[in-house]
Amino acid sequence: MTVRKDRAVTARVAALVLLGALAAGCMRDAPLDWPARDPGSQRGGVLRLAAPDDVPTLDPALSYDSRSWTYQLHLFETLVTYDDASRIVPLLAERWTVSDDLRHYRFELQPGVVFSDGSPVTAADAAGSIERVIDPKTRSQGAEYYRGIRGAAAYADGSAPHVAGLQALDATTLVIELDEPDPLFLDKMALLFASVLPIEYARRLGDDFTDQPIGSGPFVLREWRRGERLVLARNPRYRRTDRPFLDGIVEYAGVNSELAWLKFLSDEIDLSGIPTADFPSVIRNPDATGTLVRGPTLVTNYIGLNCQMPPLDDRRVRQALNYAVDKDDIVELLNHRAVPAKGIVPPDMPGYTAEVAGYPHDPAKARALLQEAGQGAGFTTELWTQSSDLDLKLGQKIQHDLADVGVTMAIKQVAWSVFLEAIRQPKTTPLFDLAWSADFADPSNFLDVLLHSSRFDANNHSFYANPRFDGLVERARTMRASAERTRLFVDAERIVVDDAPMLFLYHPISYVMTQKRVHGYAIHPLLPSRYMDVWLDPEPGQGASAGS
Amino acid sequence: MTARRRGLLRFGLAMGAGLVLLAVVGPALAPFDPTAPVAPQLAEPSPPGAPFWLGTDDLGRDVLSRLLHGARISLMVGLVAMLVTMVIGTALGLAAGYFGGVVDVILMRFTDVMLAFPGLLLAVALVAVLRPSVWTIFVVIGLVSWTGVARVVRGETLSLRERDFVLAARAMGAGHGRILLRHVLPNVAPTLVVIAALSTSGTILLDAGLSFLGIGVPPPTPTWGRMIQEASTYYRVAPWLMAFPGLAVLYAVLAFNLIAYGLTDEAKGTP
Amino acid sequence: MRYLAGRLAWALVILLGTTFITFAIVFVVPGDPARVVAGPRADAATIASVRHELGLDRSLPAQYGRYLWRLAHGDLGRSYANRQPVATTLARRLPATATLAVAGLAVAIVIGLVVGILSAPVAGTWVDRTVLVGSLAVLSAPVFWLGMLALYWIGFRWRLVPLGGAGTFRHLILPALVLGIGSGLYYARLLHTNLQGVLRLDYIRAARARGVGPFRLYTVHALRNAALPLLTVIGLDFAALMNGVVLTETVFHWPGIGRLAFDAVLALDVPVIMGTVLLSAGLVVTTNLAVDLLYRLVDPRITLR
Repeated sequence: MTVRKDRAVTARVAALVLLGALAAGCMRDAPLDWPARDPGSQRGGVLRLAAPDDVPTLDPALSYDSRSWTYQLHLFETLVTYDDASRIVPLLAERWTVSDDLRHYRFELQPGVVFSDGSPVTAADAAGSIERVIDPKTRSQGAEYYRGIRGAAAYADGSAPHVAGLQALDATTLVIELDEPDPLFLDKMALLFASVLPIEYARRLGDDFTDQPIGSGPFVLREWRRGERLVLARNPRYRRTDRPFLDGIVEYAGVNSELAWLKFLSDEIDLSGIPTADFPSVIRNPDATGTLVRGPTLVTNYIGLNCQMPPLDDRRVRQALNYAVDKDDIVELLNHRAVPAKGIVPPDMPGYTAEVAGYPHDPAKARALLQEAGQGAGFTTELWTQSSDLDLKLGQKIQHDLADVGVTMAIKQVAWSVFLEAIRQPKTTPLFDLAWSADFADPSNFLDVLLHSSRFDANNHSFYANPRFDGLVERARTMRASAERTRLFVDAERIVVDDAPMLFLYHPISYVMTQKRVHGYAIHPLLPSRYMDVWLDPEPGQGASAGS
Repeated sequence: MTARRRGLLRFGLAMGAGLVLLAVVGPALAPFDPTAPVAPQLAEPSPPGAPFWLGTDDLGRDVLSRLLHGARISLMVGLVAMLVTMVIGTALGLAAGYFGGVVDVILMRFTDVMLAFPGLLLAVALVAVLRPSVWTIFVVIGLVSWTGVARVVRGETLSLRERDFVLAARAMGAGHGRILLRHVLPNVAPTLVVIAALSTSGTILLDAGLSFLGIGVPPPTPTWGRMIQEASTYYRVAPWLMAFPGLAVLYAVLAFNLIAYGLTDEAKGTP
Repeated sequence: MRYLAGRLAWALVILLGTTFITFAIVFVVPGDPARVVAGPRADAATIASVRHELGLDRSLPAQYGRYLWRLAHGDLGRSYANRQPVATTLARRLPATATLAVAGLAVAIVIGLVVGILSAPVAGTWVDRTVLVGSLAVLSAPVFWLGMLALYWIGFRWRLVPLGGAGTFRHLILPALVLGIGSGLYYARLLHTNLQGVLRLDYIRAARARGVGPFRLYTVHALRNAALPLLTVIGLDFAALMNGVVLTETVFHWPGIGRLAFDAVLALDVPVIMGTVLLSAGLVVTTNLAVDLLYRLVDPRITLR
């Protein structure tokens, strides 16, 4: 009897395994079907993508990451957007006026535009969408951008039912009034937070809006099986007939970057980043693999230096650290997927200047400066960083460079949340590893946001305070774009580089590999990937294209 | 069979001795500074070949030098963490087995709760709480691993408690502490040695695992687990990067496993 | 029956204990979940409002009480990271982990039985010694390293299996193998040792005298006594298996709860952490209970204490 029980146990386990395997097998995706392509036509086809994990959310109010933005960009539209040169151009708004004092904005929406469910896009929807972002119950990370609208504070604390400064005069006219002049307000309207949603519907669905989004963009959500795939399909009610070219976009989840590359090589997906390990061999002969697309970014990677913690409170010490680090080596470690940073403002930012010289690699000068500052014997400090492979790799390189000039730097890895909390505390993190990516194509987004002395509780983690710098940046706050305004920022940048509240490291360059049949894909420094201009090689006379 | 066990024990001890030797003199033997980028080509790992006998890694550092330096830290972490484990586990096991009754029930139920806890997650959470440093790793690994030791020690103590010499000592009025130290502990000692060896192999593996997940001893200390982790993205283009540190871990753990196996009394079965 | 009730009650206490410990640890961590949710660019006002919305400004006991209340109603809360209900996320990823764990266990049992039985007749020979050292060597290797080696040779060089991910039986083979081989060889060793003991017993000698062939001898007669102790070991090993699952899921990019839990801890995603810990503890407790009961059913002579 015992024996039978033993066998029974084994049999049961085997059955479980089989069931499990079957279940695993059933996890296979059901294939999708797409309309047949007209031979020789640019239109049609499905773009296949892959990503390590799910898109966090499709609700524009709730995200602050480029993955979510990529898909929101295709499902929704904002009133204005950027062109290839990062200038503001019309989208849902066909024209607008801005008052001279930069406080009154009047947008005229295109008439006759509808959402994907057929309901008309109105100015009330536009106003309501922004109000939704300001609403504290939404917990939107973009709320701060629209707090400058008149009546936003009253709405947020519940004393007013609506934001007074947001007015839909009629179905196609939206008027916005700000409390203070803001040269960047149009840029804020280009942010995806300001996407126009059908506001009644969005309010009704609340947290579930992300699963059943409705917008006026070129695509609609066809299917979202979390952990498996996200599928967009052409929006039949989209206002343009010449776009998009694609019939659909499929993104497979749970594919890490290494696996994505391998899938790309076996033509299972159309687009992929290039893993670090493979980059040197790929870059030697890119055409053998596909079409290499390269794009600059408006990002600066740096190590913040806490200007209130000795000995970093001495400018000479901070300059010494900048001289000690070999940025060219770092760029080489990055496989030249970056350019060395001379200052904080990236080269492709409008208003950037090459006048600023930056810090070349000069250990002798570094040691001399340290000696001058009384730190000739060297000192010990620590770098706070997150646990990504790249951060650690570069951290170790910098550790070595600093050891060369007598500075012992320990590397302290912490979780992201701990890191965020720590850099906010005034006397906690002497060195911290960060990157800043531009929200707008304006130098204030770096200089003012990161380094103005009023921002200690926001993003000025270096606790840097220079009254002359502050003055320059404050004057630029209320000026329209002009040569004079640019001049202010150039002077400000010069001060910053001289004061060295950071170790300026590099500006990354984006590289993406696409299959040869993919055309029209370009990397934009401010916007996430845009697929509405992408088209695939026409099929030479064929049936339904394989979309899964 | 005993001969075979003795043979394996000797082999394990020899391997262990080799490991200790490596830990002591290894860093002196290293041809390069383990943290210095020395390869001509920084970003591409180079395969084994003079003068980098085990190749270089993705930061241009010599793998052999890192491996030699890693021996010291890996062994140290393994042994110290094992000590923490043994101290906690033995103390609790002795208390539970000797005093019995309510003490036993409470301690064993506490052990049950800790056992139900996913050990690796507990380790990850604890590392997040404390500063990530070598000392944290000692304590964390110890805190996660003591339950097995406690159980075994308790079992041994339970059976020892009823033995004649213990009962005689009680009858003569000896205090609990004295009995534990002079009578119980020496008899539990043989088992403790075996468990210690087994624990060490466990702690070395756990440390490698934590380093692989990215939360072990912080850089630039070249622990073997971290070396494997750094090599993981390059396994297609530079497989040797992960092969050598992995073999090193295998060697160290095998040494202690052999010692434990060789010492095990067959009648009792594996602890 | 009373025994069962007692055990169930105790299981609940253990689960409650784990929620308490997790809660305590997570809130001692020097990090602010509100900050994470609000994002790196938020100012103090936004963070404060997020903190209020999440209920994080209430006292710790109040928050714990609230959590338990919701739990009793089956609500595990929503993830801080992506606002998805934790219960849904766990349910979605659990089958993958369960599949892997069960497959790993099956591999372990199969390897244990096969290697254990096959090595019994050759006990004492050099073959046995080689198998022994070989087993110890495999047991000594880090499971994630074995996984990467296997991935390199079997997946990349010989292209026999896909390189990570999940979805078909082929994806499962390698992770299950890597997960189960260590335990399997351990069981094999145990079985081998136990068999040596059992084979010397009188009733075996009697059976051999009766002319029972060696194969039947080992499997039918000896096995049932030798394998019994194995059951408890398997039960205890299940917790260790869960640990191996986290590492294996990482190497093979298997979309299960092990990796989910790890990411959640690093991101301080409290609801997900609590959910996965509870689930894990529940699995371990349930498995141990099942093994104990199975043991009791199989051999009623043994009283469990």
